[in-house]
Formats: sequence, C-alpha cells, structure tokens
Amino acid sequence: MAVKTFKGGAHPPERKERSSSIATERLLDVTQVVIPVNQHFGAPLQVLVKVGDQVKRGQKIADAEGRMTVPVHASIAGLVKKIEPRTQSNNTDGPCIVIEASLESNPEDSTEFLPPLDPFACSKEEALARVRAAGIVGMGGAGFPTHVKLAPSKPISVVIANGAECEPFLTIDERTMVERPEDVVEGVAITMKIVNAPEGVIAVEENKAHAVPLLEKAIASSPRTRAGMKIRVELLKTKYPQGGEKMLITAITGKEVPSGGLPMDVGCVVQNIGTLCAMVEAFREGKPLIERGLTVTGGACKKPANLIAPIGTLVADILTKGYAVADDEALRRVIYGGPMMGVAVPSYQIPVQKNTSGVLLMNEEEAKYYDEETCIRCGRCMRACSCRLSPALLAAAVEAGDYKDAEKIGLLDCIECGTCSFVCPAHRQLVQRFRVGKQILRAMKQKEAQNAR
Amino acid sequence: MPAKGMLLSSSPHSFTPVSTSKIMLTVVIALVPAAGYGVYLYGLSALALILVSVGSAVAAEFLFRKAINATATVGDFSAIVTGLLLALILPPGTPLYMAALGSVFAIIVGKEFFGGLGANPFNPALIGRAFLLMSFPAAITTWTMPQGLAAAADAASTATPLGLLKQGQALGDIAAYFGSGSPGEFFRQLFLGYRSGCIGESSILLILIGGLFLVAIGVVQWIVPASVLASTFLFSWALGMDPLFSVLSGGIVFGAFFMATDYSTRPLTPTGMAIFGFGIGLLTAVIRKFGGFPEGVTYAILIMNIATPFLNKMRVKKYGFVLPAKQVKPSKEAGK
Repeated sequence: MAVKTFKGGAHPPERKERSSSIATERLLDVTQVVIPVNQHFGAPLQVLVKVGDQVKRGQKIADAEGRMTVPVHASIAGLVKKIEPRTQSNNTDGPCIVIEASLESNPEDSTEFLPPLDPFACSKEEALARVRAAGIVGMGGAGFPTHVKLAPSKPISVVIANGAECEPFLTIDERTMVERPEDVVEGVAITMKIVNAPEGVIAVEENKAHAVPLLEKAIASSPRTRAGMKIRVELLKTKYPQGGEKMLITAITGKEVPSGGLPMDVGCVVQNIGTLCAMVEAFREGKPLIERGLTVTGGACKKPANLIAPIGTLVADILTKGYAVADDEALRRVIYGGPMMGVAVPSYQIPVQKNTSGVLLMNEEEAKYYDEETCIRCGRCMRACSCRLSPALLAAAVEAGDYKDAEKIGLLDCIECGTCSFVCPAHRQLVQRFRVGKQILRAMKQKEAQNAR
Repeated sequence: MPAKGMLLSSSPHSFTPVSTSKIMLTVVIALVPAAGYGVYLYGLSALALILVSVGSAVAAEFLFRKAINATATVGDFSAIVTGLLLALILPPGTPLYMAALGSVFAIIVGKEFFGGLGANPFNPALIGRAFLLMSFPAAITTWTMPQGLAAAADAASTATPLGLLKQGQALGDIAAYFGSGSPGEFFRQLFLGYRSGCIGESSILLILIGGLFLVAIGVVQWIVPASVLASTFLFSWALGMDPLFSVLSGGIVFGAFFMATDYSTRPLTPTGMAIFGFGIGLLTAVIRKFGGFPEGVTYAILIMNIATPFLNKMRVKKYGFVLPAKQVKPSKEAGK
C-alpha cells in the first residue's frame, strides 16, 4: 500500500505506547455531570430545563433555532441541580447544567432515546434532521455542526474518515478502529449516503497500521460494500499535522482546499472517527451524542486509560473512581485535547465535552516550558508549515502591526496546528502570535466592512 | 490536584529538543576539520589567531551587552561561530591584534548595533574581514606558504593562486609555482588543500565534509551552496576563466557553505535563496575578473546581503492559493 502524505510537518514525540493497547472501558457509575450548554461551533443555545427538573438519559436539555445550532442532551438520568457558569474545557466560563444521578430509578424509564432510523431508507432531509437532533458535532476538536457539514452546496466525490490521530499521546481513535471497525465502516457508508458520494476512504497513519486488516475485513463483510458502495483504507505517513483536515485532503486526493474555502470546494467531506460512531448510534439506536471516547494519559498518569465517558463527566470523578490514576506529585500540566492543539487547564473540575478527545496529565519533562529567545532566522518554521505560510516572515509582519502584509502572507489561512512553535529552536511563540493576530485582523476587516456600508 | 507548579500556557505544549545553542555548536563542529587543517598547515600561530579571534568576539559580545544593559547572549554560542569564521578567512600571518580588532568590529558594529543575533543585515565575520582589508590592506593580503606545525612566524611571503592569476599568469605556470606538473594534478592539489591562502579555505575536501555534514543534518539548506557554486562555475566560464580553477581556488567553497548560509543574512524563501546564491557567484566572477582584488567572495556576499529583505518577498505560494482577482467568499473554517 502506497503511503500518502503532505509537504512539511514535524515529528513530535508520540508517546502513544502508554495507552494504545489498553481496551476501551465504559464509565458506569457517574454520579454527577456538568454539561456545558454551548459545545458546538455556532450560535448559542437556550436551556430547556430548570433547576429541580427530573431529566432522562438522552433527553434534550438545550436547543435553539438556527442553522448553526446543535442541541445538547442529558448524559445521565437524574435531577437538575444547578444551572450556572462553570469553567469549560476551553478554559473560559460558560453556562453549564449540573445533573445529579438518581440511582433508584430503573434504566427503562430513565432513558429517552429517539426512535431508530434506517439512513439508507429515509430521505436526505430526514437523515440530516436526525444528525442534528442527535446533537452531533465534529468530535475531533472544532465542534463544527455535522448536519451543516453533511449538507454541502457542491457535489462530493469522496468521504474521508480521519483515522490519522496525528496528535501525540491520544489513542482513542486507534482503539475505536481496532475495537469497532464495523461501526467506522458503517459511519462512512451513512455519510456517503447522505452526501451522495461515490467513494469512501478510511485514512490511517502508519503507526496504526495494525488496524488496517481489521478495517479491511470490516469493509469486506459490510452489507453496504456488498450492495456496491466503494470504501477503501489508505495508509498515511506518521507526521503532524497529518490529521488536519486540509492536509488529509491533500494527502488523499492531491488537491488543495482553496484559501478561504471549505473541503466541499474540492469535493471532500472529512469526518472524525468518533463522529462516525456517534452517527451510527444515532441511527441504529436513536441514541444522541451523550457520551464519547477519550484517552486519559501522560507522564503523570500512573494508570492510563481509554474511556467512554458521559458528556459532562468531570475528570476529577474519572480519577477518584480509579478509571485512570494520576501521580499528583509529578503533575505539572493538565491538557484537554492533544499536546499540540489542546488547552492547558487549571484544575480537574472541568467536564469532558463533545470535542474532548483526551485529557493529558503531563509530568515535569513533558511540560517543560522554554523562554522565548530571538529569531535566528533559521527557516525551520518555513519548511515545517503545512500551509506554506512563511511563519518567520508572518510573525515579523504581525509583530510590526503590518496586518496588510500579514494577510497577504496568509495569516487567515493559518490552521493553528502549532508545528511552527514546535520546531522553533528559539522557542518563538509563533502560532500564539498568529492566533491573536487572526482575531485582530478579523476585527479590523469587520470594522472596515461596517465603515464601507 | 497538586497545588503547586501547574503550568498554563497556549498550545503547543510540546517542543523540539533543537535549540539555538545546539545549532551554533554544530556549526563549530563542522568547522573543526577545516580549522584543524589550517593549524596543521600554518602551525601554532594559526591556532593562536583562532583563539584570539574567538576570545575577543565572545568578550566583545559579553561586554557590549553588559554595557547597554541587555540580556547576556553569549550562551547561544553565536559569537564563537563569528570569531571562528573570521579567523578562518584571515591570512595565517595576520597580527593577533588585528584579528582581535576585526572580531570586536564584527560583533559590535556588524551585529550588536543592529540588535544582536538574527537582526544583523550583514554577515558579521565578513564585515570584520572587510574592515580589516580596508584598514590594513597590506597585512590582510600578505600570504605565506604552508610550512607545517613548526612554521616560523616570519615565513617568506608568497602569492595565492588567484593572486597569480590576477597578475596575468597562465594556469600551467600557477600550477608550476605550487609544484604541480600539470593543471590536472594542480586541481587535485587544490582540492586536497596544499596551497597558500586563508587559514580555513585551503582544503576543499575538508570544507565539503563539514559543509555536507551541516546539510545532511538539516542545519543548512542545500540551495544556497549549490546555487553559489553552480553560478560561480558558470560565470567564471562565461568570463573566460577556467571554471574548475575558479571554484577550487580562493574562498568560494568556504563562503558558499559557511558564509552565504548565515541564517540572519540569507533570504528565508527557497526562490530567494537560489537568486541570492546566483548573485554571489556572478559578483564573485565579476570582481575576480574586473575588480581590483584577486578575490571577491567577501564583497559578493556582503552585496547580496543587501538584497535579502527584498528576496524574502519571493515567497512560496501558500496552501490553497487562489488569485485575489477571483476572491472566494470568506467562509468559516470547518471542523478539523
């Protein structure tokens, strides 16, 4: 099998071996969840319950009108204790619904799922409505509403399942592909059906090549491929950011997503592995997105784990119940997500969200922090940038406040993967400057547009 | 939850083990073969010259930054590289005080006045050499034949191959001057490095070993050296000089691998690098042919340094580049 990839990138230490062979375990005895109301990329939601309400597992607890909205569901059955601002996994405070489990009720009446729906028999509109009703968002990190992604205004030629999992440390997608290859294949088939794509590709990085025969077997035995759907597995070079949407599309199709455009502009839809499985469950069982897989690992994690946890589970509860064990003495940094794009948080009292792919407990060595030195103009960032943005020159433009030049170099095209900051021998905070710069530039453009009116 | 020492910072949370000081040390290591051979050829006086040059460069940087109350940066080892490079492009008979003066000028005027490492527009070592060449034209153009480790300090002066060429001598005569029977044998001799010249520029073989080592481990990109050497070869031939002799003599190979590749002063973009190297080769050939000096690498590189900010505008097309004329409607970035 030819190994595909993109130009640029870097090789941060993977450290996946700690958790890659640990079977996924399901959290059963969660007594309290803190569910952030807004977990998607889009307009804010309204809370549909009030303090004191009894809610069932799977019951919708927040929703809103509008295209860019995705409802949120109760992930356990119980009593709404509080609705108040709490720290979310992006390190900002936002409204959260706190639910305390009621243990006495039997699971039959305490669950409220949607009726099962056959995605291959229903209409496209019904299928999209189901994806939205099930509260499904991109689970790889950005939380983009899946029902919007699956309603492209351009023809789609290929659906790509993103099994790259290029973030170091994380292994949950790998475990999912090994443990549930049939669901991954089914998810690709459902996506292909909804967007009417002739081809499906499951893209896997080389370091997970052991999942390929399992996926191929699942493809061969799937009723969808027997019915004529074309799905195949592609191997990718192990390199960061191979799982970035744009890089993945370029590796698989050889095409580049045009600047300012979307994957659909080159006929692609990219879906995260977790999202695919959530879609399968939403159709097969009518189950909304109320739990997700995540990896808890790191140098300060004595017992790493791959878990399926209800949305809203506090990491503190995962640790106190012993599903994963932290070494508090060695702990220096807690990260929600991967080490390259994840968010450092100040405490364990933060919930697992729809886009939390992992929780990293880093030790001294992993959390090493360097002081910024001056740019020696070595050009390593220039070669590593997967978007070919000349980070050294871009940083100079941003620092000088020359946003016109920065935009020309491609500030708004930055995918914020952090490869430039990773490779910098002077430990320049390049991507950090670009993040701030992007916001300033966007605000400037908005103001310009307003003044023009 | 531990109470102490929790780090909060913006991602990424993982960093390369490569650091500025490690890169600088690698360059020093790559220079060891050429420098060692220089000491072998010209004796302990050459070693003294190297040590004085490096020492005064480090001292100049340390004291200057202390004087202006700036953070100490001698730990990045870049001053060592500058001092070493300067020593290696000086004639072996250069008086020690001149080397010290050149180093101090290179560091303070060539680098620190512009803000230090990474901010200097001109290669500091070459600034140092150009300064010495203007201030002490006789001393910096007085050459000695290699005499081995026991070399006397007052060795008889001689000429460099390029100097003889400038005087109008034929290639066969130059070969004979250095004891070679034929130009072919002379080229081999030049490649291995037995000839008069600057301390570090003698052995093309050892310079290539150091230079290719830097290319192999990714500290230096191949574009600049390749383009410098190819263009020197091409334009020497075009101007009626023997192209192979032009590349093997003088300091062009040393300059191509260790001077033109200086991070701060070469362009960052691949196209920029290629044009930069091309210009250096062209200017070197032109200066050697028409200029007042027999050798032109120093000025060729310094002149091309001026073009670097402009050449940096020749960027690679960004990912997904579309012509601004048919602007796509800005749309929100989808999930990753």
